[in-house]
Amino acid sequence: MTSNFKSWPITIFLSILSLPIVVMFFYLILDTVTDTTGGSLIPDRLTLEHWRFLFETPATGRASIWKVTANTFIFACTTSATVVATSLTAGYALSRLNMPFRRFFLGGVLTLHAFPTITLIIAIFLMLQMTGLYNTLAGVILVKTALELPLGIWIMKGFYDTVPWEIEMAGLADGASRFTVWRKLVLPQVHPGMAALGLFSFLAAWSEFILPQVLAPDGASQVLATYMQNLIKDDVQPDFNMFKSVGLFYALPVLIIYLIFNQKLMNIYGGGSKG
Amino acid sequence: MRRAHLLGLGFMAPALLITGLFFLAPVILTAVFSFTSMSSGTGISGGAYSVSEQTIRELPERGFPQETADLLAKDVYRIDEAGLSDLSANFGEPFSKQVRKALSGKVFDGRKALVTEMKKLRERPRSVRQLKISADLFKRSILNIRFDSKAALLASVSDIGISLDASQQTILAETSYTGWSWTTDNYKLISSMPSAFRAAGNTFIYVTLTLSVSIGLGLLLALATFYLPKGQAAAFRAIWILPRILPPVIYVMMWKWLTWDTGFLSNFLLNFGITPRNWMLHSDINAWVCIVLINGFVGASLGMILFSSAMRAIPASMLHASEVDGANRRQQIWHIILPQLRWPILFTTAYSTLSLIASFDYIYLSTDGGPGRSTEVWALYAFHTALNNYGGALQYGLGAALALMLVIIGIGASLFYLRIFNFNELVAKPRIEQ
Amino acid sequence: MTILSSKLRQSTAAAVLALTAIAFAGDALAKDLTITVWAGGSGDNDVYRLDAIEMAADILSREWAVRGDELNITVQKKRDFAGWPEFKQAVTLAAESGSAPNIVVTSHTDIAPWSQAGLIVPVEDYVDLDAWPLNNIYDNLLEMTSYNGVVYGLPQDAEARPFFFWKDTMKKIGYTDEEIEALPTKVELGEYTLQNVLEDAKKAVDMEIVEKGYGFYPRVSNGPDYAQFYQSFGGELMDKETGKLVLDKKAMTEFYQFFVDAVEAGVTRKNHIGTEWDQWYAEVASGKAAIWHGGTWHYARYTGKEGLDDFFGNIQFSLIPAGNEEGHPNTITHPLAYLLTAQKDEEAVEIAAQLIKIASEPRINTLHAIKSSHLGITREQSNIELYANDRWASEATARLLPFASSQPNNLNYGRFSEIMFKGLETAWTGTKSPADAVAEVEVEMKALLGNDLIVR
Repeated sequence: MTSNFKSWPITIFLSILSLPIVVMFFYLILDTVTDTTGGSLIPDRLTLEHWRFLFETPATGRASIWKVTANTFIFACTTSATVVATSLTAGYALSRLNMPFRRFFLGGVLTLHAFPTITLIIAIFLMLQMTGLYNTLAGVILVKTALELPLGIWIMKGFYDTVPWEIEMAGLADGASRFTVWRKLVLPQVHPGMAALGLFSFLAAWSEFILPQVLAPDGASQVLATYMQNLIKDDVQPDFNMFKSVGLFYALPVLIIYLIFNQKLMNIYGGGSKG
Repeated sequence: MRRAHLLGLGFMAPALLITGLFFLAPVILTAVFSFTSMSSGTGISGGAYSVSEQTIRELPERGFPQETADLLAKDVYRIDEAGLSDLSANFGEPFSKQVRKALSGKVFDGRKALVTEMKKLRERPRSVRQLKISADLFKRSILNIRFDSKAALLASVSDIGISLDASQQTILAETSYTGWSWTTDNYKLISSMPSAFRAAGNTFIYVTLTLSVSIGLGLLLALATFYLPKGQAAAFRAIWILPRILPPVIYVMMWKWLTWDTGFLSNFLLNFGITPRNWMLHSDINAWVCIVLINGFVGASLGMILFSSAMRAIPASMLHASEVDGANRRQQIWHIILPQLRWPILFTTAYSTLSLIASFDYIYLSTDGGPGRSTEVWALYAFHTALNNYGGALQYGLGAALALMLVIIGIGASLFYLRIFNFNELVAKPRIEQ
Repeated sequence: MTILSSKLRQSTAAAVLALTAIAFAGDALAKDLTITVWAGGSGDNDVYRLDAIEMAADILSREWAVRGDELNITVQKKRDFAGWPEFKQAVTLAAESGSAPNIVVTSHTDIAPWSQAGLIVPVEDYVDLDAWPLNNIYDNLLEMTSYNGVVYGLPQDAEARPFFFWKDTMKKIGYTDEEIEALPTKVELGEYTLQNVLEDAKKAVDMEIVEKGYGFYPRVSNGPDYAQFYQSFGGELMDKETGKLVLDKKAMTEFYQFFVDAVEAGVTRKNHIGTEWDQWYAEVASGKAAIWHGGTWHYARYTGKEGLDDFFGNIQFSLIPAGNEEGHPNTITHPLAYLLTAQKDEEAVEIAAQLIKIASEPRINTLHAIKSSHLGITREQSNIELYANDRWASEATARLLPFASSQPNNLNYGRFSEIMFKGLETAWTGTKSPADAVAEVEVEMKALLGNDLIVR
């Protein structure tokens, strides 16, 4: 921006600082299609061998990658949809509606927003057991939603807060109910917020590891995070090139979203946490 | 109640339901659990009263008469009328008749002996399970039976002809109970276990160092990219957002590959004559450096984004003015930019402190608290205790007590932050229907 | 006989109802059933832990068909757990929530807590232990799968955990072929001790035959193996009289000290714990380490994936040597067991019991034993060609099994072993001195095990 500052020292400095990430990421991609002789840093041949996990029938007692991928999509999409839908109404209520306990709810949202959630997992297990949702994808989805909600509501409230009051006033003056005003006039105003929150929760659920591991260990509800961790921890096939291939496969949706929505993500990660 | 109230509560309902069930209820349950001795040995759903060899051994230690304990230890099977009529009711008259004829009045020590005899009878049930059930009809001992209630246990004890006084009954019931009980021992345990103190210390180290790296690096990145040409800045931001958006399992796997004995770092440094080693687990210092960097990079991602967006909000005119005044870069950062970032920094610090105290997934995936317990932070300690250890000894009660302490710290800190960040301003009243 | 028999009668009535169908049915029966089986700590070589159940299901349904009934069993197999902790967590929680797999393959030490909590049912209630094939199982193995005198599980495999020596390295530090041949006997007689191990390992490192830290190359994670060293120094895990666990402070300190000495002598790496298994296997199977210890099942890995063609030409194996006067050479066998979980559907439990009984037949178990280089569970397996012709199975059985002990089935053993290992780790990595580490172990054990611990 400003002309009297030289930028090249910064560039070099940042480049060095970024080196670990660049190296890790570069090799993450490179190693999936190459083989390297032990001890060397430079791969010596191209191969698609590491991607065989996509086509092989899974070994006895292992889950199939496609089933697991489907699970992960269901998990992430449903969580995202539930978080958005629930935050849309709750956020509006907190932003605009005068109701009993409003102060209390807002305080609650803010308190829960940065709260040691994962430590509650034993009790969460018991809740799932009581509701019969333990070992099901639905259970993990509900729990993940519950944990993401405070942040989601807070973000949506933020978006509602920026909608001009005049829009609603005008609607009410025309004789529409509060509900109609919300649905017809206010909702369209927060579409960017919905999209951003949807993406954000999708990514959060896509990455989630501990919840599915503890709450749905059954093969039928495994997700990519647990699939991959099980693969890494299994001492029989520790083959980093294969891990990386699975990893890249697992990261693909994240990377695609990241490439398309780069700027939006920056905003949501930034904006989402503005207390 | 006004319509808007109803609408508001209706709009809140789904959120309240989900958070209530899977967020608030667990908090309360955790508090309740922390006062129990629940473990994988006691089960969660309640126990049974079962007199086993172990119980028999323990009884005399608790002041129970040895002779009575010895009586309880006998596994008696007696072919009596009651048993025979049960047998004929459940397994038919022919078998009952044969048993009466061959075994009536006999007493067996243990089921095995009786079953051996029964196997000689022609009318016996053919399935092993059924045969054993039929033999159990003659069991005149309480050994290894799981009774649902204390009353059932004691009634059966008197049924088999052993009379106990009130205090003996209490001892027997307490010793033979397999379930959990209410206790405050968990808190006493925590205060007496060295590993808990170490976990607390580790948490302090972890939070302080990771926070410094996150905030420092985040600020550095934000400032640096602020001064760079647009293209370069975007490239660096793109690189630095990776730690934050990559799933933890992959991100940590990349670090493992980087630091492993046969990994990148070892191979690279080999060129300079440094022996390969596991850079992540070589010593506790190595482990800490890795943990702090792994978590710190993730935190720096968030910091960078937050600070960058805050910096974009600084009016360009202010910066230009300072340059016209001849301010150098340091002065500009110090006097113009940093003051503007005061609140974002404070906020990020507060937010990250809380989430760091409670988070353990990156540590779990990378060092799992090792080597030794040198990187086991409180949250991971709770997780290990309650759910995740090699022996499978899951101590739910103790784990819940550990977790509850985090919950209390979390709530306390949140309330404190709400004061700092001026809660009242945040909850301005809605303008319609005033 | 009011309560006692009414209690029995209740359960009897339920059981009879459920089983009448199976046992007394005159008409042809058709039955569809899904049996789920989960195996912990199982790699690719261990698939017969699961496949054996499927084979048994096939046999059982053929038996039904011959009898004129129809039984269709779908066996759901799962073994992809990240590790033992995750497996045990999954089984425990699933059982608590009533969705436990019908059959689990797990360590025999899980029997104590799980039976106490009512998560598993005694197998002896469902099968005839006096009839073939179960009467052919080694008695001591059945003892290991019993708790409080009740047989809860059927042994699934047996093993032993030997010491290994890389012959070439031993020769280079001055052993003759004869001396190497005689080594197992010397270990057995207590003439070759862990102190000799340190000396030889140091020689190998000092003469630069192996790299620093590769003289003595132990297991990389917690496991029964470390209890062996405790025993080598005279430690006793459980007091036979009282059934209580024993913390022998002297033995524990010396056992920790041994590993600290190994690190200080440069023969073992300070950061050894946590090494990747893959790397570890590759290294020991290629002679990178002079002396190490492992399990009988390592044979399958060394000769299989790691490509060590001549195992016996390259590797010598023995018991774990004694550590001092009080201790004795030993090895721990840590049988895994088939356990039946408590289920609402009594019939499913009975069928599951039949399946694990059939899976214990010598022929079927031999498939697992040889494929995974474990030891057999029944006497008759020595008559099965596959087993009898396997040099490793027969030699390991002869040299190790007579001296094998097992870890105790005690409610608190899991905690005990966890604390013992964490203590070892703190001493090993130099975080604390052995004495301090043991002091901490003592405090933690006393606090957590309370009355169930004897400190010596």
